[in-house]
Amino acid sequence: MKKTFYLFNPGRLSRKDNTLKFVPVDEKGKEGPARYLPVETVGQLFVFGSLDTNSALYNFLGKQQISVHFFDYYEHYTGSFYPKEYLQAGKMLVCQTLHYADPYKRQRIARKLVDGAAFNMLRNLKYYQSRGKALEQQIEGITLLQQSIPMTDDIPMLMGIEGNIRQIYYTAFDEILNDFSMGGRSRQPPKNEVNALISFGNMLCYTACLDQIYHTQLNPTISFLHEPGTRRFSLALDLAEIFKPLLVDRTIFKLLNKKVLQAKDFDDQLNRVILKEAGKKKLVEAWEERLKETIKHRALKKSVSYKHLIKLECHKVAKHVMDMQGYEPFKAWW
Amino acid sequence: MYIILVYDVGEKRVGKMLKLCRRYLSWIQNSVLEGELTEVQLKQLKAEAKDIMHKGDSLIIFSSRNERWLEKEVIGEEKASTDQFL
Repeated sequence: MKKTFYLFNPGRLSRKDNTLKFVPVDEKGKEGPARYLPVETVGQLFVFGSLDTNSALYNFLGKQQISVHFFDYYEHYTGSFYPKEYLQAGKMLVCQTLHYADPYKRQRIARKLVDGAAFNMLRNLKYYQSRGKALEQQIEGITLLQQSIPMTDDIPMLMGIEGNIRQIYYTAFDEILNDFSMGGRSRQPPKNEVNALISFGNMLCYTACLDQIYHTQLNPTISFLHEPGTRRFSLALDLAEIFKPLLVDRTIFKLLNKKVLQAKDFDDQLNRVILKEAGKKKLVEAWEERLKETIKHRALKKSVSYKHLIKLECHKVAKHVMDMQGYEPFKAWW
Repeated sequence: MYIILVYDVGEKRVGKMLKLCRRYLSWIQNSVLEGELTEVQLKQLKAEAKDIMHKGDSLIIFSSRNERWLEKEVIGEEKASTDQFL
């Protein structure tokens, strides 16, 4: 499987000998030893530090189908270099658009997405309940809301339910986490450590979904749950809903409860908390490991990594819009 | 498949070989590279390497199913790391 490279250090990335060369630069502007990245095995690049490049490099990356995702100083996702689609399929685009335009068809998919997300959140809660955390209240609340999903008849109402589910879900975080507390979700800016981790993790999840969509014939801008066009590549946001509880939240619980991440990994600034360099690396490392983790897939009868699971989800959506097979969201069964 | 590649080619072709291998694998030491490749990528690499090689040159590829089955110990200076964080 192709690898993701994370560029934390500032430096210059260039095309050299038909492969990628990265020369790190320190604060004094002194160049470090160059490192070559094997272009044939690079899947995507995440850029956190400041990167010096030129258009020749982007032409090369475009040809090699390597996407580049950029994050600003505060770990906000700022955008992507999204190479030209290589799997063009007009028919898919038409079908996807038709499914968006028909309110009935759109809601069918949107409901499934929310249902899948709720199910996976419950899965997390039940796991921690079995480990002696008092989460009955939250589980009951979410189950109740989940039952009302089929009754919704427009998207804003569905989004409302989704919001309520998340609100209840986040109250469970304080119970699950041993040393940290969350005290409600805060974004832009995140007000404490847990929120900072969630924001950063969600971003990783979002880009992972976007990257998998790129390798299918789906169009990333036409979404079903989120309103398309209003924000970023919204289909990736749709898919990320399902995977956030499994990939992001579980990783965060693990890192905090096992004390891999500690208070010293965060930078407490006026009104906001952000991850320090070392903290970011720890989270990204754990994230990479999580993506590589495999599960035994029931239907396919073979081991599948989480990363591949996201791609399978894309295929399911694709099959649904092509009217080949009804979409059923991925639900963690273990 | 996890690969360790070692090459010993004539002076004139050393540069060419290095450039080729760097496209697929991470350089760790003079004439030694390692990395994860798929079977197809390895085939491509071999085919391209054969085009460069002349009589008397040699290329050795050690492979194992997974990096897990490989123990690596560096004594002295590590010339280049192979991780995905830069």
